[in-house]
Amino acid sequence: MIKIAVLVFIGGALGAVLREFLMRVVPTLADGFPLDILAANLVAACLLGFIAALHERKGASDSIYALLGTGITGGLSTFSSFAYASAMLMKASLASAVVAFAYVLTSLVLGYIAVIVGMKIGGITKS
Amino acid sequence: MKPLDVIWVGLGGGLGSVLRWCIGRVMAERYTGNFPLGTFLINISGSLVIGYLSVLFNVDWHNRYGHGMVLNAFLLTGLLGGYTTFSSMQLDAVKLAGRKHGHFAALYLLLSVGVGLLAASLGAALARAQG
Repeated sequence: MIKIAVLVFIGGALGAVLREFLMRVVPTLADGFPLDILAANLVAACLLGFIAALHERKGASDSIYALLGTGITGGLSTFSSFAYASAMLMKASLASAVVAFAYVLTSLVLGYIAVIVGMKIGGITKS
Repeated sequence: MKPLDVIWVGLGGGLGSVLRWCIGRVMAERYTGNFPLGTFLINISGSLVIGYLSVLFNVDWHNRYGHGMVLNAFLLTGLLGGYTTFSSMQLDAVKLAGRKHGHFAALYLLLSVGVGLLAASLGAALARAQG
């Protein structure tokens, strides 16, 4: 119990720091499209699909899942920044509302696909 | 980049993730329905708080740097980023669809985003109303 909590903490810390690096390396596009958060969320979604599929067929222990799944992918991905940026873009102007709509749609569709791709890879990876 | 900022982000991310894990466990014990209620409530509450704090700290959503604020790194990027999760939401949706609840999965995603955006706006409005 305590061990799992510690692993979630370490993973969450690593994931959040990784997101901070991504936010500094990947630029927000000129029209305000938050490419950095999208990148963090897609990488996290793919990794979570992968680790969940491995965990499902006992290829990854509960500890590994706590560290990588609950911790790192949870810390790397973020919903709050996604929602806040979208809400602010929606209100700014008609042009930025279109960007916000594209951002939300791309995030949802690609994020969903990223999980499935991760699961497929996790389903065939030898453990 | 200030090395110290990274430490605050990490500390916040770790604490936020543990909080998310705790709430997820409590929710899983009390609610056994199909709807991923735990992740939903976590994401909505995190959106409300980020809207509120961003206005309170006067943080531009696309230009968070140069404020030199520990609170920004610790609370917004770290704690709220670690607490809320996009990846679990998507995994929940894929699992729902896998259990032949395809329409439920789409509804869950749209509801999360719709209510999440409203919550972020509401949080920002609350902070503005306070002055």
